Amino acid sequence: MKTLLRKMYKWIDSRVELDDLVKFMGKKYVPINRHSIWYYFGGVSLFLFIIQVITGILLLMYYKGSEDLAFESIQFIMSKVQFGWLIRSIHSWAANLFILAIFVHMFSVFFTKAYRSPREITWLTGMVMLLLAFGFGFSGYLLPWNELAFFATRVGTDIVGILPVIGEPILVFLRAGEDVTGGTLSRFFGIHVAVLPGIFTVLLTIHLLLVQRQGMSEPIDAHHDTERKTMPFFPNFLLRDLLFWLIVLNILAILAVFFPWELGKKADAFASAPAGIKPEWYFLFMYQTLRYLPAHILFVDGELLGVLLFGAAGVLWALVPFWDKKSSRGEQNRFVNYLGLFAVIFIIVLTIIGWLI
Amino acid sequence: MKYLIYILGFFVGSNGLVFGQAQKPVDQCVSCHNDLGTAEAELFKHDIHFAKGISCADCHGGDRRATEMEQAMDKKAGYIGVPKGDQISAVCASCHSDPEKMKRYHSSLPTNQFENLKASVHGKLDLSGNNRIVQCTTCHHAHGIVSVKNPASPVYPLNTPATCGKCHANPTYMRTYNPSLPVDQLEKYRTSIHGIRNKKGDPKTAECASCHGSHDIKSVHDAKSSVYALNIPATCAACHSNAAYMKPYGIPTDQFEKYSRSVHGVALLKKHDVSAPACNDCHGNHGAAPPGVESISKVCGTCHALNADLFSSSPHKKAFDERHLPECETCHSNHEILPPTEKMIGTSADAVCSRCHSEKENEKGYVAAQQMRSLIDSLINEEAKAQMLVSEAEQRGMEISDAKFKLRDAHQAMLQSRTAIHSFNEEKFAETVKPGLATIAVVKSEAKGAVEEYYFRRTGLGIATLIITILAVSLFLYIRRIEKNGQRRIKL
Repeated sequence: MKTLLRKMYKWIDSRVELDDLVKFMGKKYVPINRHSIWYYFGGVSLFLFIIQVITGILLLMYYKGSEDLAFESIQFIMSKVQFGWLIRSIHSWAANLFILAIFVHMFSVFFTKAYRSPREITWLTGMVMLLLAFGFGFSGYLLPWNELAFFATRVGTDIVGILPVIGEPILVFLRAGEDVTGGTLSRFFGIHVAVLPGIFTVLLTIHLLLVQRQGMSEPIDAHHDTERKTMPFFPNFLLRDLLFWLIVLNILAILAVFFPWELGKKADAFASAPAGIKPEWYFLFMYQTLRYLPAHILFVDGELLGVLLFGAAGVLWALVPFWDKKSSRGEQNRFVNYLGLFAVIFIIVLTIIGWLI
Repeated sequence: MKYLIYILGFFVGSNGLVFGQAQKPVDQCVSCHNDLGTAEAELFKHDIHFAKGISCADCHGGDRRATEMEQAMDKKAGYIGVPKGDQISAVCASCHSDPEKMKRYHSSLPTNQFENLKASVHGKLDLSGNNRIVQCTTCHHAHGIVSVKNPASPVYPLNTPATCGKCHANPTYMRTYNPSLPVDQLEKYRTSIHGIRNKKGDPKTAECASCHGSHDIKSVHDAKSSVYALNIPATCAACHSNAAYMKPYGIPTDQFEKYSRSVHGVALLKKHDVSAPACNDCHGNHGAAPPGVESISKVCGTCHALNADLFSSSPHKKAFDERHLPECETCHSNHEILPPTEKMIGTSADAVCSRCHSEKENEKGYVAAQQMRSLIDSLINEEAKAQMLVSEAEQRGMEISDAKFKLRDAHQAMLQSRTAIHSFNEEKFAETVKPGLATIAVVKSEAKGAVEEYYFRRTGLGIATLIITILAVSLFLYIRRIEKNGQRRIKL
């Protein structure tokens, strides 16, 4: 067996010079410190993305992206297709865990200041991928064409529509018309399975190449240690990554079997919106904030101001490597820590309130 | 001096009184018009208003004491001539809508008739667009107005149908206001039990105003109308549930009570389903009469068409006709029609079939009833089992919408079987029940499969979790083994 594998390796190596890559990986070391646990969330996010791609392709074989057939096709997948229920449930749960993992990964990078020079591009690609993940969630949520998704999409796109000048054209573009219709479904389907995966894959490739090229960032305080602990990337870190992936896979399987993702009722444009309609949990903190804002703040529409503030906060957050000069110089920046802490508490509290109310 | 004052006072007082009596103004309007012998004056002699001392001038204005026509009918004296259009009702309302004035005449009449008239269907504007369609005089006439209790009154119960019929039986006139409204009400009414008795001189039987009201008549589509679908049972019950009132007629007075408990009564009165039948839907409205024994299935068949058709072609039709049994009513009753259950079928004591069929008498029907009951019982039991299995699968979070949809088909078969039973033909009945049973079998199999799938998923999850856990533990142990010497320390 070993001889056969060796032969295969040599056959490939003679053609693509695999040895160089193996040597590079053999020389690659990952730092060990008290924040090492957070390194794995990047890998977990990647793993969940791979699951999304695989389950998404499987769902694509039966899903029909039209107003008349979307709901029925999911019903068919869940009741007639062998393991269709499992694939759909895993796709739905993995989508949520994916965004959760990205959130954890992003905040761990933020608090350990791993975004600092020279990793600005890695941070920026990551931030764009976070936005794309929201896009995946938002567009995918409508695809089953059920009542909740229909009205949540209507509310979600309405929020975009309040932006001055560009709001209305974006709204019409997203909805493929004035209102959420079958046209919106087709558009979201296209965005979900073609546009977003294409862009995401490019960014992910850049992100991973940069991580490989630049290696893992070490926290600022680790620089003060006289002796640094490391572990080989291959096979130690990769195997640890794999261990995490297996744990996540187990969680995912339990969630998919014990809490199968419900389909609900088919969307009916003429029905009244169900009571207590809410967006997905990852949009809840923004939605809840907008609800708390008064109708007008100093002659400006409260909701519009909220959306603009969130936009501005997002831009500032994405540009942190460029304005946090202290961290780039290797100095502690407590302001950034407090800002991050505020953001975490704000998101958690508003999400919980939004969930409970 | 004191006595002189008393005497003077007496003279002045008594003279005043005597003078007053002597000076009571002679109603010159009546006096002259009587002399002229006009029809109005002749009629007015019998008018209730004349009897109460109301003068022509009270309606027409003018000076009743003036002996000269020019003075009596002088516009300066308030003479208005013959009131026209809305002016007529306004003149009547000047007293009839004034409680103080009416009290003066010791009248017990309500004073809201004019308000009611204005809000009624008759209070709408006429073709000219200036006046209401109906004025007080349209029904009460003008100069010979008598009490409603007086048989001479056009609104006395025996005269009301003709009074209303003057307009409502006139197609040319009615076409100008409501072309879709039938004009045969009076004709139909005369064929009804009410109409026949009314014609015979019974003022107690219902006439137009008994059901439609008098001054406050509303459109039948108006929810406030006493003949609006939801209000009809109560309107009929006003007389028919009054035991004292109905005593002379010797008919039961519990129809409303029974109807309220019936499937129709519950639908109409509790669920406010206006498509449910009220009294008039079976008895007719203007031509109200109890349906004849032989026509009951036709009456019920207006809604229950399939049941009626099946019954008409069933062996029961001939048997019922021969025995003069009322068709639907024999099994379902009349006013108290309760929701039918499978218990009505079969040979048990509470089954209606057993009233005529027994093991010894009409044996064929007895056996057929037994078998039909057995079939419907199996359909109901199987449907309940399928429902339970579907619920179980649903509770376990399984996607079972397809089976649920099919279950509706099975329920439909159950409903159809309730109709098919009216064929009283075992084979026809089985033809309806068997597809239902077949559908239920599919539903049960799918639901059972879903429950089994649920346990399969649990087992599968257990195995998968175990494999993943073993893999993870092995990996963990392997990592520990290779890391014993794998960590590198870089000295700075």
